[in-house]
Amino acid sequence: MASEIKENSWPIMLSIGLHAAIAAALLLMTLVSADRVSSERPAAPVNAMVVDSQVLKSFQRAQAERAAAAQAAAQAAEQARAAEQARNAAAEEAQSARIAAEAKAATEKQAAAEAKAAEEAQAAAQAKAAEEARAAAQARAQVEARVAAARAAQEAERRAEEKRAADAKAAADAKAAEARRLAENQAKADREAELRRQIAEEEHVDAVEASPLRDRYLASLQDRIQHAWIKPPSARVGIKCQVQVTQVPGGEVTSARVSQCNGDAAVRQSIENAVYRASPLPEPPDPALFQRNFTIEFKPDE
Amino acid sequence: MNKSRTLALIALIALIVLAPRSWAGFVVEVTRGQDNAIPIAIVPFAPSAGDAGAFDVAQLVADDLNHSGRFKPMSRTDMIEQPHTGASISFDDWRRLGNDYILVGQLQPQGADRMTISFELYNVLNRQRLLGYQITANRSGMRLAGHQLADMVFEKILGIRGAFATRIAYVSVQGQVPNRVYRLIVADADDENRHTVMQSNEPLMSPAWSPDGQSLAYVSFEGRLSTIYVQTLRTGERHVVSAKAGVNQAPAWSPDGKKLALTLSTRDGNLDIYVLDLASGALSRITDDPGIDTEPQWSHDGKSLYFTSDRAGGPQIYRVGLQPGDHPRRLTFQGNYNARARLSPDESQLAFVTQEEGAYRIAVMDLKGRGDTQIITKGRFDVSPSYAPNGAMILYATRDRSRGVLAVVSADGRVQENLSSDEGEVQEPAWGPF
Repeated sequence: MASEIKENSWPIMLSIGLHAAIAAALLLMTLVSADRVSSERPAAPVNAMVVDSQVLKSFQRAQAERAAAAQAAAQAAEQARAAEQARNAAAEEAQSARIAAEAKAATEKQAAAEAKAAEEAQAAAQAKAAEEARAAAQARAQVEARVAAARAAQEAERRAEEKRAADAKAAADAKAAEARRLAENQAKADREAELRRQIAEEEHVDAVEASPLRDRYLASLQDRIQHAWIKPPSARVGIKCQVQVTQVPGGEVTSARVSQCNGDAAVRQSIENAVYRASPLPEPPDPALFQRNFTIEFKPDE
Repeated sequence: MNKSRTLALIALIALIVLAPRSWAGFVVEVTRGQDNAIPIAIVPFAPSAGDAGAFDVAQLVADDLNHSGRFKPMSRTDMIEQPHTGASISFDDWRRLGNDYILVGQLQPQGADRMTISFELYNVLNRQRLLGYQITANRSGMRLAGHQLADMVFEKILGIRGAFATRIAYVSVQGQVPNRVYRLIVADADDENRHTVMQSNEPLMSPAWSPDGQSLAYVSFEGRLSTIYVQTLRTGERHVVSAKAGVNQAPAWSPDGKKLALTLSTRDGNLDIYVLDLASGALSRITDDPGIDTEPQWSHDGKSLYFTSDRAGGPQIYRVGLQPGDHPRRLTFQGNYNARARLSPDESQLAFVTQEEGAYRIAVMDLKGRGDTQIITKGRFDVSPSYAPNGAMILYATRDRSRGVLAVVSADGRVQENLSSDEGEVQEPAWGPF
């Protein structure tokens, strides 16, 4: 019982300490929080502290009683053990001397055998080491030879590759240069052709404009618009109005706007309407004569 | 080297040739147009809810424009849809159907007796809205409102004030002697809405509108003798203004409405032109010639008279100033019969009856230029021309299957149309003022 208590004394102390620490912490928290939340939290933490302090006191009392009992029992046991030890010591001393003598003889014999064996082992080890060194050197030489061979092969391949690349690049460059040259020639030829074509077209336009085709186109436009113009009573002799017309290929009129006009609103409106009514306008006898923008002049002669 | 030099040369040529070209020389000249009627779609107006019997204003507008000869309203049966507002017009469709213009509208009742006509006129070709108005009228005024609407459309498109909302007067003769009945009739310009102003068993002749449109002067033989009356249309009251012995004939109002020019006879039967001051009754003699001088017509400044005289043989048109000592000047020289002159409202034309190939026809003479004369009708007996107040049309009397009817012809003779009339023999029409 006493030894149990002695063995458990650290845990007990720890327990007591922890309780004390908790109690102190609780007290501190209570004091700290009391200011802040006294109204919210009434007296519960204070009650807990009281309970803990009672537990602490009972532990302290029990510990003191147990310590006194343990001290008395320990003193009695110590005295009995000392007498027993003295008795056994004499017998053990005699036995030890005999065993020591026997052991010394055996040890000396074994040492001699071990020395001989060690000598033999060392010789064997030396031979083995020499052999291993030789083999290692041989192996290293072989590896080095293989590595060197591999490196040489790689290098050769790299060089070959470089050469191939260089050859290919040279070939490509040459081809590209040729292509560029051809393209430039073609572009030049195209430009020339385009210029020639434009000149030819302009010459053609000039030619057809100077030809009766132009008059034919003008006449067909005049005819179409005269048929579409419903003359208001105010469109009398002396009226002169111009309308700017925009058409798209196919003859559809997209815009008709009277510019200069000495007629009234009815005349202006009738003129614009005439152009829209005439849409689509007749197509030119030659596409080169197509006029996207042109002027129509209204000059009633009756 | 050689090649690039060639290229440079071509480029240089191209620069010169391709320099911006001017098309100023490309001008289409148009010197003639068509006398065609203008195609217009007059869509029936949306009737007001619960009023299926609402007056068909759109039909009246279409008839007016059609009678003018200058418009060709689209047949309703050809309309594939009937929009009532501009927002719902499919312009491309109406254009494909051949229309230049479209009129849409709707009627909305305003209380028990009034109607509002809302209408919009669009140019189909450029989609411009030309008119957007409302006219409110009571039910009995719907016809007049329709004529006013037609006037607006006419003016907007042709640039000429419309004269559909004006009145005409004429004499109708029915029955055989001794039961023959003469009526003086006032009607709308379309010869609808007729009212008999005066009725007699003896001849009625020569109705003439006062410049304010309130009164008519006319000749009545009701006492077996010719007498000139002035009658107020609104009240029907009338009074004698000239009942001289012999002939009292051909009254014509002065532009200010204060005087009448008329024809009186002297004791020996010679007819001369006089001017009567309506307020004082004072009479001044204008012509003094042994021949017949009659059918006077005032110049617009009130300072001279046009009249018919046979002093040179056959009847011809003369003009005389009203200042003492002014001598008549002859105006017509073509043909041996030119009579009953009427002056156009802008004084640019004189219309009169001429004889051609044995037929009587209406001729117009240019007063501004060289006095060119143009015969504008083709009937056998076209007489009594009278200008519409806008000068665009001339109303006259003609014969249709041996019956006297009214007809109209445009002042330039391009369009002519007979007005149907069931009022017997129609004589001496006179177109009233605006």
